[in-house]
Parts: sequence; structure tokens; C-alpha cells
Amino acid sequence: MHDQAVEAVKFIDLTFINVAFLFIVGFIGGLVSGFIGSGGAFVLTPGMMSLGVPAAVAVASNMCHKFPKAMVGAYKRYKYGQVDLKLGLFMAASATVGVQVGIKIQEHILSKWGQAGSNLYVSLSFVAVLVIVGGYVFYDAWKISKSGGDEQKPRLAAWLQSINLPPMIHFKTSNVRISLWFTIPVGFITGLLAATIAVGGFAGVPGMIYVIGASSLIASATELVIAFLMGFGGTVKWAVHGMVDIRLTLIILAGSLLGVQLGAIGTTYVKEHMIKVVMGTIMLIVALSRALAVPNYLTQLGVLSFGESALSWLDTASFVTMCVALGVGAFIILRSMIKAKRSEPLVTAVETYEHA
Amino acid sequence: MSARGEEKRKKLILQTLVFGGITAALYATAFSHASALAELFARGGYYAALPIVTVFVFSFAHGAFAGKLWSVLGIEAATKHAVQRTTAPAPRPVQRQRPRLRMNA
Repeated sequence: MHDQAVEAVKFIDLTFINVAFLFIVGFIGGLVSGFIGSGGAFVLTPGMMSLGVPAAVAVASNMCHKFPKAMVGAYKRYKYGQVDLKLGLFMAASATVGVQVGIKIQEHILSKWGQAGSNLYVSLSFVAVLVIVGGYVFYDAWKISKSGGDEQKPRLAAWLQSINLPPMIHFKTSNVRISLWFTIPVGFITGLLAATIAVGGFAGVPGMIYVIGASSLIASATELVIAFLMGFGGTVKWAVHGMVDIRLTLIILAGSLLGVQLGAIGTTYVKEHMIKVVMGTIMLIVALSRALAVPNYLTQLGVLSFGESALSWLDTASFVTMCVALGVGAFIILRSMIKAKRSEPLVTAVETYEHA
Repeated sequence: MSARGEEKRKKLILQTLVFGGITAALYATAFSHASALAELFARGGYYAALPIVTVFVFSFAHGAFAGKLWSVLGIEAATKHAVQRTTAPAPRPVQRQRPRLRMNA
């Protein structure tokens, strides 16, 4: 395992194009993460693999950049009063169990149906979760923007909060009092999804909003705490096996630390439902991207038969669609930031602090 | 801009340059020994601490530089959602009538 990583390190040639690609995707991924709490990993890992990096090294190097990026983003948003640390810790604890169960499921599928079966399972999970959850998030954001842009507490969250099932936990920053038994499944599913599709935030953030009842602003900021804790644990695991290519990690980190802070600043300019707009849009486009990859795995399993050129075209289309998802997310964030900054002369936080 | 504001801006630019310099030095050092470092960091076992410590060090330097850079460029958090606690007016002392000395003769 170690030799494979060392060989991969020697094998990868860092050309200007490679460095520029990783830096730019790192920046855009950071921007999206700082804004919605997750994102970037779904493009960076396949992106690195397309540059010739082995899958394990790509996952490890990506994870090694993810936790410091999340740490910086969480710190920035904590300063804005948006992070619910207690909620983040509860979620991360139950997510850790979810990750372990997710890995067991993956191993079982891998041993029974091989690599193609495992890839098919990952892609179908991607499509199912992203279409259902992303579709609902997008519909909710559309409904809110039509009604003037003010978020209401979701009915499910309000109902769950009204059930007095000890132990009841009070999350001060979110201003939520809810039973521990309703927070555990949200964290568990976040971990399960993180182990399956590597983007746990696509379940964690909507879960915190619609099940627990935190606002989009607090849910997306708290997701960064979860990403930090889980990313750190994952990195230790991969680094012990010598899978981290530090050069790739540092290049991505260079871009993402600039992006994540810009994304965090962006949350203070826009209306809260914009977080849902960006998240829903990205999830739906990523779902399309993964759907394009399904015929390839079905062909490998012998269920369908597609020609070589058609499969190659679908693979390229899938990767390009993923890049488009990230690009569209970044475009919406930057556009709404510029629009908000132009529309009202806002006093900066620092100036207000000094004034106070 | 007031003299105090000008002074603060100069201080911010200086801090940005210092952290930018530290970040550039870190990256230059890392990439001038890129192959050796990558091989050393990929040995696994106890060597796992190396990439983790490295990303922490880079994050502190580059994170501080990035935050200050955005501030220098005029991109800072708006108060709409940020630091709401500081925007609240300070509690005013309760107005009470001063006690008067009454002499009932």
C-alpha cells in the first residue's frame, strides 16, 4: 500500500496546467464550501484521478486539504456568530458511527459484485439522494424567494421539537430544543453518505435544516465543524497508510483557503435562502452527472451493452457536468454577493465593532 | 478616511505583507524539496504526523494571509448576519429620581 503511494508520487508530473487546474478547482470548491458548508470534493477527487493520480491517493490528498479548509471556514463563520459548536459535535459523533456502517456496506458490495457493482451502488445512491433531497431543497428555496425571502421553521422540525422525549438537548446558537433521539439519525445518515458519496454535507445540511430546525445559515456553518472533525479522522487513517501526496494537498489548499473565506464572507451579504438555492442547484446538477456514469457500470456488470466510444463520451460528459455544477454554484454565490453589495451600502463588521 | 482609519489600514497592509511573505516562504521551501518531502510524507506509520502538522502550519499562515488580503481588497463581512451581538446598543443606565432630603418640620 505504501509503495503504491510512493510510486504514485513519483509518477505524477506537476505541469503548469495541472497546478492551475488544482488551484482553480480548489478556490471554487473552497468558495462553495465556505458558503454552503460542503462541496468541492466531488470534483477534486475525479479531477485528480483524470490527471493520473490513483484513486486512493486522490481521496487521501483531497481529505487532507478538506479538514484545514473546513477549520478555517468554521473559524471565520464562528466569528460571525453562525456556528453551533454543540450541534456540530453531536452531529460529528453520530456521523462517525454512520461512516463505519457505510464502509461495511461498501466492503460487502465490493466483495459480492466487484468494483463495477460498488461504483454502480455509489452512483445510484448519488442520484437517489441528490434528486430527492436536492429537489426538495431547491423547491423550498424557490417557494421562499417567491414569498419574499423569509425562512419559516419547517413543519417536520417544529413537530419533532414539540415531542418531549428525554434526553432533550438545547442548542443555544440554533435556538433549538430537541430530543437527542432525533439528532442521532441525522448525524448517522450524514456519515453514511460521507462514506458512500464522499459529500456528507448534502445530507447533513438539509437534515439540520428540515429535521432539527436550525436555520440555513447556522446549518451550513455547523457543517464545516463536522467536515473538520470527520476530515481530520479520515486524514489520519489515510496518512497512516502513506496515501497523502502533500504536493497535491498544498496546491489545492492554496486555492481553497482563499475561496473558503470569500464564501464565508458571502453568507453575510445574501439572504438566507440563497444557501438553499446554491445547494439545491449543485445537488441536482451533480445528480445528472452521476446518472450519466450509470450506463458505464451497467455495461461492466453485463446488464446493458454500450459501445466504447459512447461510454467514453458519457464519462467525459459526466465529469464536465460535475465541473459545471461547481461553476454554477460559484457563479450564483459571486453574483448574489455583488448584487447585494451594490444594492445597499453596508457597514463592515469591523467598522461596526469599532464603533460599538 | 480619518487619521485613525488610515493608520489601521496601513497596519492591515503590513500584516498582509508579513503573512504573505511567510506563506510564500513556506510554499517555496516545500516545493523546492517537493519530491523528497512527498516521498517522506508517504511513508505511513508515525510519518502520518508530517502531512497533518504541515497542513496545520500552512493553514495558519495562509489562512491569516487570505483573510487579511480580502480585507485589504475591501471585501469584508457585512453586519446583516455578522457579529450581531456588537451591533446591539449598550444597556442604558436606569433613570431614577434622585433622592431628596425632606424636612417636615
